Amino acid sequence: MSIVTATVTAETVAVPARRRGGFWHSLARNPKAVVGVVIFLLFTVMAVWPGLFTSVSDPNALEFMPSEQPSGDHLLGTTALGQDIWAQLVFGARQSLVIAVVAGGCATVLSVLVGVTAAYLGGIVDDILSLLTNAILVIPAFPLIIIFAKYAGQGGLPVILAVLVFTGWSYGANQLRAQALSLRSRDFLEAARVRGERRSYIILAEVLPNLASLIVANFLGAALYSVLTAAGLQFLGLGDPNSVSWGTMLYWSQNQQALQTGMPLWSIAPGLCVALLGASFALVNYAFDEISSPALRPVRRHRVRRSRQRTDRG
Amino acid sequence: MRYLVRRLGFFVLTLWAALTLNFFIPRLMPGSPVDALRTRTHNRLSQDALEQLLASFGFKPNANLLQQYLDYLGDMFTGHWGVSIGASLGQPITQIIAQALPWTVGLVGVATVIAFVLGTLIGAVAGWRRGGVLDSILPTVFVITSALPYFWVALLLILFFSVWTGGWLPHDFNYDSTIVPGWTPEFIGSVLVHAILPAATIIVTAVGGWILTMRNNMIATLSEDYVRMARAKGLSDWKIMTGYAARNAILPNLSGFAMSLGFVVSGAILVEYVFNYPGLGYLLYNAVQNTDYPLMQVLFLLFTAAVLVAVLICDFAIVALDPRARATS
Amino acid sequence: MALATVGLLLSACSGGGTSSTSSSTEDTTGPTGVPSGNHEKGGQVTIVNVAGQTWSCQFNPFNPAVFQQSQGFVYEPLVFVNILNDQAETPLLASSYTWSPDGKSVEFTIRDGVKWSDGQPMTAKDVEFTFNLLKKTPALDTYALWTGAGLQSVTAAGNKVTMQFAAPAKVYFFNFANQVPIVPEHVWSTGEAAAHPDTWADDKPVGTGAFTVNNCNPNNIEYTANPTYWQPGKPYIQTVEYPAYLDNGPANLDLATGKGQWGSQFIPNIKAFYLDKSPDNHTWSPPVTSVTLYPNLDPSHAATSKLEVRQAIAMALDRSKIALVGEGGQEPAANQSGVVTPTFDKFFDSAAVASAGYDKPNTDKAKELLAKAGYGPDHPLDLSVITVTGYTDWDASLAVVKQQLAAVGINLTVQDLAQQTYDDKLYTGDFDLAYYAPPGGPTPYYEMRLNLYSKNSAPIGQPASSNYSRYSNPEVDALLDKYPVVDGDAQVQIVKQIGDAMMRDVPVIPVTEMVDWFQYNTKDISGWPTEHNPYAQPAAFNIPDVGIVLSSIWSKSAQG
Repeated sequence: MSIVTATVTAETVAVPARRRGGFWHSLARNPKAVVGVVIFLLFTVMAVWPGLFTSVSDPNALEFMPSEQPSGDHLLGTTALGQDIWAQLVFGARQSLVIAVVAGGCATVLSVLVGVTAAYLGGIVDDILSLLTNAILVIPAFPLIIIFAKYAGQGGLPVILAVLVFTGWSYGANQLRAQALSLRSRDFLEAARVRGERRSYIILAEVLPNLASLIVANFLGAALYSVLTAAGLQFLGLGDPNSVSWGTMLYWSQNQQALQTGMPLWSIAPGLCVALLGASFALVNYAFDEISSPALRPVRRHRVRRSRQRTDRG
Repeated sequence: MRYLVRRLGFFVLTLWAALTLNFFIPRLMPGSPVDALRTRTHNRLSQDALEQLLASFGFKPNANLLQQYLDYLGDMFTGHWGVSIGASLGQPITQIIAQALPWTVGLVGVATVIAFVLGTLIGAVAGWRRGGVLDSILPTVFVITSALPYFWVALLLILFFSVWTGGWLPHDFNYDSTIVPGWTPEFIGSVLVHAILPAATIIVTAVGGWILTMRNNMIATLSEDYVRMARAKGLSDWKIMTGYAARNAILPNLSGFAMSLGFVVSGAILVEYVFNYPGLGYLLYNAVQNTDYPLMQVLFLLFTAAVLVAVLICDFAIVALDPRARATS
Repeated sequence: MALATVGLLLSACSGGGTSSTSSSTEDTTGPTGVPSGNHEKGGQVTIVNVAGQTWSCQFNPFNPAVFQQSQGFVYEPLVFVNILNDQAETPLLASSYTWSPDGKSVEFTIRDGVKWSDGQPMTAKDVEFTFNLLKKTPALDTYALWTGAGLQSVTAAGNKVTMQFAAPAKVYFFNFANQVPIVPEHVWSTGEAAAHPDTWADDKPVGTGAFTVNNCNPNNIEYTANPTYWQPGKPYIQTVEYPAYLDNGPANLDLATGKGQWGSQFIPNIKAFYLDKSPDNHTWSPPVTSVTLYPNLDPSHAATSKLEVRQAIAMALDRSKIALVGEGGQEPAANQSGVVTPTFDKFFDSAAVASAGYDKPNTDKAKELLAKAGYGPDHPLDLSVITVTGYTDWDASLAVVKQQLAAVGINLTVQDLAQQTYDDKLYTGDFDLAYYAPPGGPTPYYEMRLNLYSKNSAPIGQPASSNYSRYSNPEVDALLDKYPVVDGDAQVQIVKQIGDAMMRDVPVIPVTEMVDWFQYNTKDISGWPTEHNPYAQPAAFNIPDVGIVLSSIWSKSAQG
């Protein structure tokens, strides 16, 4: 599995609260973010209103001639069983988005809970939570997922979501803990403590907002991880083969040897969609990093002689 | 020193936790090797015959659970890994793993190292040379490649280089089955040729991450004061880049690299599945399909231990390389 | 209690073809069809059969995980019984045999002049030793001969071996004469083999068969011809390569390119992928058992326990369409009498099937029947069917079934389960409908006995050995009990009567016929079993048929 590592160390991500307004503005102006968001919105529209994209109502129904080449009627052709590939693609967006948002979201929530609690409560609680986090972190996720999914018997959506959340939260928890720790000693928190604010208030109203961008980054990372891993699971046949999703399409096309029997689109198209959705998360994530740390932004040089000396300002 | 002791303690505790998890997961899930064997023998053997067959292979499901757990811990550490009770019924697990391990370590290990080295170099240069077209498209390109699903890249490569070229590059197996293994140029050549597409898949998807992190770390490092000082002192660019910037920029990457190396042993299951590469990942997939408890448990132990060892070595290395780490324990 | 069920080894995820375009020249053949011409020795054949894992290089003929690579190639049984040719028999290690008049004992005359591959002579004592080994180590007794079949003793005297049973045992002949590999006493009575015959690796197997294992590594097994094989002049082929394929994809590719000549798996879109690639590529996949829908007859399942509901399902199915779409046209449609055609045409009563209305789908009648049972548009029937994840052709077939049942008002949900979960539910009766293919046998009797015999059933919640639908009919039980003790024609009548019960009571619903997948390339190799001369089961995973085929094929280029 490719490890999606944080692209900057925790220290440089800290964004003072007052820049939040300008933050969204810069996001809108960043081309990567725009592309990422557009792709995501496109898939969302596809998931919510599939009728806009295809006239087929039940993509799994065996309505057509099998193994047809792409044509006006069937943009991507038909499967070996006689289903419209484009229709399956459109309807499949739904499951992938649900997985991305739900699994990514739940994993992030868990990361925040564990990470911030560990950082803020410290002491033995911190030690235990850290041990738990690190233990789960080192356990190879994909083998664990395979085992869980296989044994849960049916490989339905709830099972996949559960295993994704279980294996996906630990990385973010570590990051959030590190960041929360560095915040602990900051002056404004000292001020709040001295003022006599309750711990829960401090955590919710002071600490969390400062972690906001890291939390969003985590969500995007977790969503990316969930989409890719779920597709991988379904590809191996551990999902529900009768469901409509991109991973299941890949499973069927692989089994029917689409590549070798002259129907490559059946394999390539759903994979491309998974890749695009994943890429959209990754792009927005990277855009976040660029905005938080301007040094990373692309340097635009117009008619300046390229010298070996570089400044470090963007 | 205290830092190292703490890390060692963490290592032991985590290993124990992972082992315990490993022991309980298969037992909590439905299904048993008896059923798997019944299917494999097409429901022809009686329940007693099946249980007896498995018992003779060392699988005793009716023993007391605590006893089984203690036996399991002992066996894992003393290397008594037993025999497979799955599809390779009767074959000693040490033999099965010995056959598959070199292929995974070879393919995935080498590919990961190549991706890291390549990625770090490109990232360092990219961080150094700001400006121009390359700087604006490079992150985008690699952000996208690092988000691509493994198996899809594998399928594309198979399509382009194997199916459409009529088999120019082989897309399955680790070597040509008709060649008898041995240190002959024919065999080695076959192994290398069969490794091209799987390795390419791993490199393409993994390199992006390294490039980006290295580039970002370089950029962060270049803004540090000591780099400015070095420039002010008039040191050559090359010296600054290698001696100061890159050296410090690479540190955060090292722990990530260690983790990746550890994860090498888990074998990029998807890549092995698509390319039918008989490595450890494929072995785990099969073991799960066939409810092969002994094999599953040993594999899991190996995977976890590998990552832990890698992380531990990396911790020691960082302590050795970075005086700041020593100070902040 | 396990009965001596017949061991036909069928691979799970399969599909087959019914077309045969073979026009290879054939040898002179005897009554059994096994070719017996004279050919020059030479040549090599590569088998393409997906094992799913790399070879362990163990060859213990009693270990179910590996015996498909040792029986047939290296080890042989007493008599070869061909289920495809109405049980034609070819004497192998036994040159002849006679049954006692009461059918309870049989005396085999063991062939002279047979040598083990290490040079020692094979005698009746080896046969006696083998069967007694099964008694000593019950884990080896795959066919429950000593327990279920009532075997009481096996004794050797001179060159004869007598087997004594507790009851008439002709019906078990297929198992003990055709499927028990004879092993050498001098190897198996010492050392590790004697201590643990069930777990012994046997990596250098000593047998009487036409081939010996020359070389084995995880990726490939190479067999070479046994120079002292007892059939003079045979085998013609001198080398057999058996690569280990992990998945169908690369296996199918090797078949398509001609790298392998003997294929035994499901090839999707076989025409474009394989047959069109070369005029030498052929396929012929004979059906051997039925892939069947098992309804749950227990009263706890209100819908499926009603006869009308089951009849409606059986009437609504267009089996030809299911076979066409679900199995790519490579499996024939089954029929409600449960008799596999054309393999068992002798037992098939097509007139009866037609007059019962099961010869073609009838959706109107199906709707009527459902209405009689109380189901209709305002009271829809919801049913679920369990199948195994990974059997994509079964998934495809069930998708068609779902559509066809929807047309008569039944909402079918297909549940894909992991193998273990599926087995659990199947055996304990935790399903509405289950999709399953039982092992077959030399006549339809074997499949029918597995499916319909009440003693093979069990109450819901306990594992049944093979009668998963929990059918119980004393008349059918009586017929099944009578079959082993009567002869030839009477047996055909019994099967037809049981077929009638199948159509009357609809205890199970056969959908398509499971085949022996078989693809063969005639560019260099000739002498394959074909539709016109089915002298052995053609799939490479059938034992001992694989040995029969290997010792009958010959290489054209090796001929002078």
